[in-house]
Amino acid sequence: MIDRRLFDSIDWTLIGLLVLNSLVGVLVIYSASHYLPGDYHWRQLVFLAGSLLALFVLLAIDYQVLLSFSFYLYGAVMFVLVLMLVFSRFISKGSWIRLPFFQIQPSELAKIAIILALARLFAGYKRSYVNLSGVVASCGLVALPFMLVALQPDLGTAVSYLPLLLGALILAGLRRRAVAWILLLAVLAGITGWNFYLKDYQKKRLTTVVFPSRDPRGSGYHILQSKIALGSGGLLGKGFTKGTQSQLKFLPARHTDFVFSVIGEEFGFVGVTAVLFLFAVFLSRLFRAAGKSRDRAGVYIIFMVSLMITFQLLVNVAMVIGLFPIVGIPLPLLSYGGSSLLANCLGVGLVLNVKMRRFANI
Amino acid sequence: MEKGKIYEDLSLILARTRQVAIVIGFLLLILLFFCWKVQILDHRKYWTLAEANRTREGLISAPRGLILDRNAVILADNVASFKASIIRENCRDYDRSIVEVGRLLEIAPEDLRERIARYESLPAFRPIVVMDNLELKDVSRIEARRLELPELVVEIGPRRHYPFGNMAAHIIGYMQELTDLELKSGLYPERSLGDIIGRTGVEKQYESVLVGTDGRRLEVVDSQGRSRGEVSRIEPIPGRDIRLALDFDLQQKASQLLEGREGAIVVLDPRSGDVLALASFPTYDPNKFITRFSPQEWMDLIGRADHPLENRAIRGLYSPASVFKLTMALGALDAGVITEQTTFFCAGSAQFYGRPFRCWYSGGHGTLGLTDAIRQSCNVYFYNLGRRLGIDRIAEYAKLLGFGDKTGIDLPGEKEGLVPSSEWSRQFRNSNWYPGETISVSIGQGPMLVTPLQVAVHTAIMANRGRRIVPHLLQSPASPQAEQPDGGANSASADRIKVDLFEKVIRGMWKCVNEEGTARGAKVEGFEVCGKTGSTQIIGRERAEKLGIKIKTHSWFSGFAPRDDPRVVVTVLVEFGGMGGATAAPLAKELFSLYREKYD
Repeated sequence: MIDRRLFDSIDWTLIGLLVLNSLVGVLVIYSASHYLPGDYHWRQLVFLAGSLLALFVLLAIDYQVLLSFSFYLYGAVMFVLVLMLVFSRFISKGSWIRLPFFQIQPSELAKIAIILALARLFAGYKRSYVNLSGVVASCGLVALPFMLVALQPDLGTAVSYLPLLLGALILAGLRRRAVAWILLLAVLAGITGWNFYLKDYQKKRLTTVVFPSRDPRGSGYHILQSKIALGSGGLLGKGFTKGTQSQLKFLPARHTDFVFSVIGEEFGFVGVTAVLFLFAVFLSRLFRAAGKSRDRAGVYIIFMVSLMITFQLLVNVAMVIGLFPIVGIPLPLLSYGGSSLLANCLGVGLVLNVKMRRFANI
Repeated sequence: MEKGKIYEDLSLILARTRQVAIVIGFLLLILLFFCWKVQILDHRKYWTLAEANRTREGLISAPRGLILDRNAVILADNVASFKASIIRENCRDYDRSIVEVGRLLEIAPEDLRERIARYESLPAFRPIVVMDNLELKDVSRIEARRLELPELVVEIGPRRHYPFGNMAAHIIGYMQELTDLELKSGLYPERSLGDIIGRTGVEKQYESVLVGTDGRRLEVVDSQGRSRGEVSRIEPIPGRDIRLALDFDLQQKASQLLEGREGAIVVLDPRSGDVLALASFPTYDPNKFITRFSPQEWMDLIGRADHPLENRAIRGLYSPASVFKLTMALGALDAGVITEQTTFFCAGSAQFYGRPFRCWYSGGHGTLGLTDAIRQSCNVYFYNLGRRLGIDRIAEYAKLLGFGDKTGIDLPGEKEGLVPSSEWSRQFRNSNWYPGETISVSIGQGPMLVTPLQVAVHTAIMANRGRRIVPHLLQSPASPQAEQPDGGANSASADRIKVDLFEKVIRGMWKCVNEEGTARGAKVEGFEVCGKTGSTQIIGRERAEKLGIKIKTHSWFSGFAPRDDPRVVVTVLVEFGGMGGATAAPLAKELFSLYREKYD
């Protein structure tokens, strides 16, 4: 099924960067959780192996085929999300579905479905600027899963769908007027959300970004502890598994949302710079892959996948250093969590898929 | 793009991709800048915070020095005690904490809040004791809710304990929590809010000796506040022990003798000034006060009419009554207004300055000389001495013989009493001294006021034939340094009075006890007790008769033994005890006997 030439066109460097980043993640997860039962680092390794396997399976299917099925895929995922809401009591726990051996987070995988659906939507879009029907269609496409996930309630994951929409619209071409509309809508959404949707603890989180020390034991706790971990690491850090903030459990969600703080505490500014540099190389390679795309849909796919990972990285780091409210967005590839890792690997798989099929005659 | 025709023109959207990528590159740089700020620029600040996070400084209370009697009987020691404290820093929700902790410890939330408010100035990580003397079942109840209430901790530390309860309460004193006011006074520079300090007695007097230096313990703790091990430790330095001159057996006897009465007993060693016993009754149990709360019992004690908290031996002011006749006798001899052979006639009463003054024995003592006047405690004899001496010379001798000034005992709060003189009258009463008053003062009545301890010291001066001593509780005043209040030792000395004059008065005192005198109740076979009784009239005899009521007099006895080479002075005062010979003297006899049994 896979042509020999296709196999040769696989961007192994990109896969190498992906694996390297993920292994750094396993290392930090070990440091942050080795004293807990659960063997999180081993589990993350298993997740990584599974995700890479899924990635290679995905490579075998031409993305054009995937695109042609994209609306069905999207429909199926939405169906699952609706089921989860309706039967939340029996099959799921918030954003998780409990399966016999592990739990799965469909909202993470929904990102892939959204990316494919948006790419399909704009595949034949030849205008320089997007028109109203394009905006409405794409917004509707994202609004549905956004609401379903936000009701779970998992605001973090829901918010991470928005950059996909924004990315697609940017590529399709947004006029100034449209940007103005989007900003206006965002403000309105923000106001209604603040008044009707956000729970008190979420509001507190937002306010504590501005005043973290107002309530150091309450909602400011996470931000403060995270900054203490980072700041106390200094230039070189306290050494592997020597971080007092994480080892003594002052740092919350050490192996998931706050792995970046652990890196900062144990490997210092040098470690943080190295990880950000690794990401920069990885992301720039992802973005540059767009240039290798054969068609418009490919560019959309690559751009949205790149944005998906970038958005998580930026928001997670900004949150950890106290520039952004605490929303449950993990550090891509490094944070513990199978679904997120799988979604990101599948995303990279899509990029590779597009890149390796850049020659139309194959 | 190489083969234009097959591929669409994607240059526009690719350009847009590049623009976004560049923006993202900038965003990454901004994040890196903030990491640099937090990790490099603010490193020191966060490092300190991390250390504060992971370490907890705890105090290790230093045990207080023991208080021992002269034979090393422990009068005050330390026992382990549990106390519950609140660490405000650990409160997630202060108001809820108050309610929860209050319910757990069965303290009203308002009380708890008020208590914590008192320690507002302490740093938030310092535990504030909210309950002490916890029982084991309370401790387990608190420990069981450790995770729910991380702000509530149980600490173990030494607590003061007085094994004999109220026996020597007035000497040893009691301890209470340092108040904000005391702290601000600067008297306790080393102490901090919430510390327990000696409030009265030896505990207060020798606070600086008894108190140790608290140690410090630095522990690593996790986010739950659980200790993960000690980083460093400064051992506490225990306070130094104090050996008192007190004799446990005499003290115990004195307490027992006073049981059920109101009064005071002082037993001194006239050679050194060692206080062998000093009892005041009613008394209290100091163990009950070593708590941070003021229990109802405490409030009751303060309000009680018989003032159990007052140390009557050093703070009770009484007229010396006939005990003062010794001063009169010695003064008259020294001033040369009489000799031992001078006699006066007692007809039961006598007229002075146009007013009749009675003798206590209305039948009259007839003609008697000095020693018999002392033996019989004849008022008329001493009225005559008073008239011959005059008030100012009486005052001079009174001061010489230990009255009107603090004795200088190492206990806080001693009173100086009052020795009236014509100058005192002008200065404080704004009126001239009436000669008639001199007659009253001659028998220790009138405005004259003394403390039982002053009487004891006065008796010691008699016993020493003029050498004055400063009474002290600490056995060896050389070390540690005893604080000597003003007065006492450095006031005028009775040394200049000739020894043979003392012998003449002492002969009277001896007769008073041993030859059927008023103090015969104090006689101990073979111990040569010399002493004098006194009966302080609360209101004038005529007035009492007019009112038709019978108010008992205060009963005095003060004496020493043996006659030559005196080793012990006993002073007894029983309020409303009746005649000195009837009540006080027999009590003194018990103490003389016990002393003799033990030391001779």
